[in-house]
Amino acid sequence: MSAIARAAQRLAIEPALVVVTLLLAGLIGVGAMVSDRFATVGNFLAVLEQAAPLGFVAAGQTLVILEGGIDLSVGAIAAAATVFLAGAVNGRDGLMLPMLAAVLALSALAGLVNGIVTARTKVHPLVVTLGSGSVLNGLVLLYTLQPTGKAPTWFENFAFGRAFGLPISALAMVVGFVLVGWMLRKTRLGRNILAVGGNPEAARLSGIGVDRVTMFVYAASGFFSGLAGVYFVSRMGVGDPRVGDPLTLASITPVIVGGTMLGGGRGGIAGTLVGVLLISVLNNVLNYTSVSTFIQWVVQGLIIIAAVSIFSGGSKRP
Amino acid sequence: MSASFAESRAVIALQGISKYFPGVKSLDRVNFEAKAGEVHALLGENGAGKSTLIKTIAGAYTPDEGTIVFNGKERVWSSPGEAKKAGIHVIYQELLLFSELSVAENIFVGDAPRGRFGFVDHGAMVSGAKAILDRLGHRLDPRAKVGSLSVADQQMVEIAKALTRDTKLLVLDEPTAVISGREADLLFERMKTLRESGVCVIYISHRLEEIFRVCDRVTVLKDGRSVGTRDIKSIDRDTLVTMMVGRSLADIFPKKRAQVADSTPLLSVRDLQMPPRVRGVSFDLHAGEILGLAGLVGAGRSEVAHAIFGSMAKQSGTITLCGAAHNAPTPRASIDAGLGFLTEDRKGEGLLMLLDAAANISAPTLREFTRFGLLNRPAEVTSAADEIARFRIAIPGPTAGVRALSGGNQQKVLFARWTRACHRVLILDEPTRGVDVGAKVEIYSMIHDLAAAGLGVLVISSELPEIIGLCSRVIVMREGVLTGELSGDAVDDREIMRLATKNLAAADARDAA
Repeated sequence: MSAIARAAQRLAIEPALVVVTLLLAGLIGVGAMVSDRFATVGNFLAVLEQAAPLGFVAAGQTLVILEGGIDLSVGAIAAAATVFLAGAVNGRDGLMLPMLAAVLALSALAGLVNGIVTARTKVHPLVVTLGSGSVLNGLVLLYTLQPTGKAPTWFENFAFGRAFGLPISALAMVVGFVLVGWMLRKTRLGRNILAVGGNPEAARLSGIGVDRVTMFVYAASGFFSGLAGVYFVSRMGVGDPRVGDPLTLASITPVIVGGTMLGGGRGGIAGTLVGVLLISVLNNVLNYTSVSTFIQWVVQGLIIIAAVSIFSGGSKRP
Repeated sequence: MSASFAESRAVIALQGISKYFPGVKSLDRVNFEAKAGEVHALLGENGAGKSTLIKTIAGAYTPDEGTIVFNGKERVWSSPGEAKKAGIHVIYQELLLFSELSVAENIFVGDAPRGRFGFVDHGAMVSGAKAILDRLGHRLDPRAKVGSLSVADQQMVEIAKALTRDTKLLVLDEPTAVISGREADLLFERMKTLRESGVCVIYISHRLEEIFRVCDRVTVLKDGRSVGTRDIKSIDRDTLVTMMVGRSLADIFPKKRAQVADSTPLLSVRDLQMPPRVRGVSFDLHAGEILGLAGLVGAGRSEVAHAIFGSMAKQSGTITLCGAAHNAPTPRASIDAGLGFLTEDRKGEGLLMLLDAAANISAPTLREFTRFGLLNRPAEVTSAADEIARFRIAIPGPTAGVRALSGGNQQKVLFARWTRACHRVLILDEPTRGVDVGAKVEIYSMIHDLAAAGLGVLVISSELPEIIGLCSRVIVMREGVLTGELSGDAVDDREIMRLATKNLAAADARDAA
């Protein structure tokens, strides 16, 4: 098979990707018309930089949704991660790197607990993660209502620094997406995630370890949520117990817009990346038009509904 | 038998009905007619178009061509509700009842007698329900909760529902697939009552015996076409089979394998208990043998298979697989020990619809194509291509999806999956369900080849011709218990049906309670 044919086939499999990419291109065009300052390298780099936390949580959410679940605890895990990291370091700069490792491990562990409970009890993950998110949120707010702790100044580089002229945070996001994409395509685990998401019963009867797959995706989602928390600590220098609130539902939007099917089995990480960029550029363009922030919510909601109805339109009949 | 229908008018007449689905012509210029006061059988293999035809009559599908004449008037149904209002009532296999409501409430659902102020008149509803049940000649407490009734009684509630309206055409979609022989006898009596009262009954089944017992005429469908309508008195069994499958039974099945001499069994099951569905099942399966497991739907056959494979928990009993204990099976352990299980529910439990053929075939054996967690996709695709050639699966290639394939080709994909994975024992649950005759013949010869290669094959099937044509030894289950074993020339449909519906003391006691 030639490379072109393969590319064409890939396009045929993921029409969603084409649609979202066109939408993104159109939006960039609109942005350029709206403001002179929009279509500048500086602005694009800023958009990428700010897209990172949404990108992290959306990458994890993609895995969970592909597996047939949903994770409503990503915001809570991210908030807990900021408070834990900034609070534990609290000006003792030498602790930064070990605590960073610890907080990422703990975030993955929190996700793993979601996965274990979901796999073992067969309670719907919506309920499990809603519950665990609430527990975590409550604990964090019991600990502190105010932004707390202090991270070293050099750690700002994760959010604001540049490498090869590009934002480090955006590079980290892209690396995350590439890793997830590679895992989905090239490893047995990735294949099994798609199998379980498409038909868990058939997967089980094929001898696939459905429980282990479930545990992995939630642990991965926990890890990425923790990474988002780390980004916020880097950007703000403190831990903020409320930083995760808008993140949970926001993490689902790019996944759906990117063509991953709610319910699992079909979709991919590339669509999510374009979805993240679409949402980020949209917010950026609307900032330049000086309309209310709430308009962003309206437009985002419309895009979600429009995207999903386009994608599902062709595949309603079996 | 009522002779009056011969001169009575047609209640329903279909002329040149065609219905297309993407890639399939499900009905092809079908003519069909049924009269008042007759029981008219609609006979055909799975996939012959019976369901599509019924849904067209009932307004669930709009035909692409042709006309529907109901009660002398040409009709175009805009919805199933409209057909229902006109007097067409269809009873599907999955009953549409509210299990938490009473018999009377179900009979009058959406249409309850009202008293003053528009409140439901409960007394009138109960006495109305009683009157209708009396008309059917069926004794049933109108106040009983439907969920507590047997499936057979629930069918009666459905029929009673039909009688609250002026139903002129009643369609029964394979009602006996889910009830026992004795219950079926009762159902046939009720159908005769309905016939006497001038209702036209269309009876769908693929069980020939039943058709000879209750029906006046039969229309045979094959591959979406009507093969013809015959008076039941003017036709015999063999002719009907030939009409239905387009060839005689002798051409469909390969020559039976000789019975296997007693060797050490590959699979040995002793006193398997999974109450209440399976109670004390024991049997042996030998290398090179095709063993049939017959019985009615719900007799516990699939549960036995699930317990052996490890996808359902058993309570007790021992399983020996290839000489080793296999008492705490999991699907993975079974597969690793060489045991495969092709389930009856191809879409729900078999295929990974969103993945390609290669991924479907390699699902249980993906480890063979993995090193350090990394997939060797080219090797997977190459191997799948071999299987596709071997099983002659009609598909563009190993990387094509499985969703659009025909039932027969989907089934062959699953055959490829399990024969690739398992080299000792294969359990096949309804291996030809929803598969056309051509693919059936191929599947039968595959099963034959597998046994010839030394596998032990356990075939669970509700199709008696399939069991009889394939298996040199048959065990029969009824209500969770093995009721007998037949081998050699003793394998015939009467004996199997007798064992499958054999009255058990325990069952009788329970029914009486």
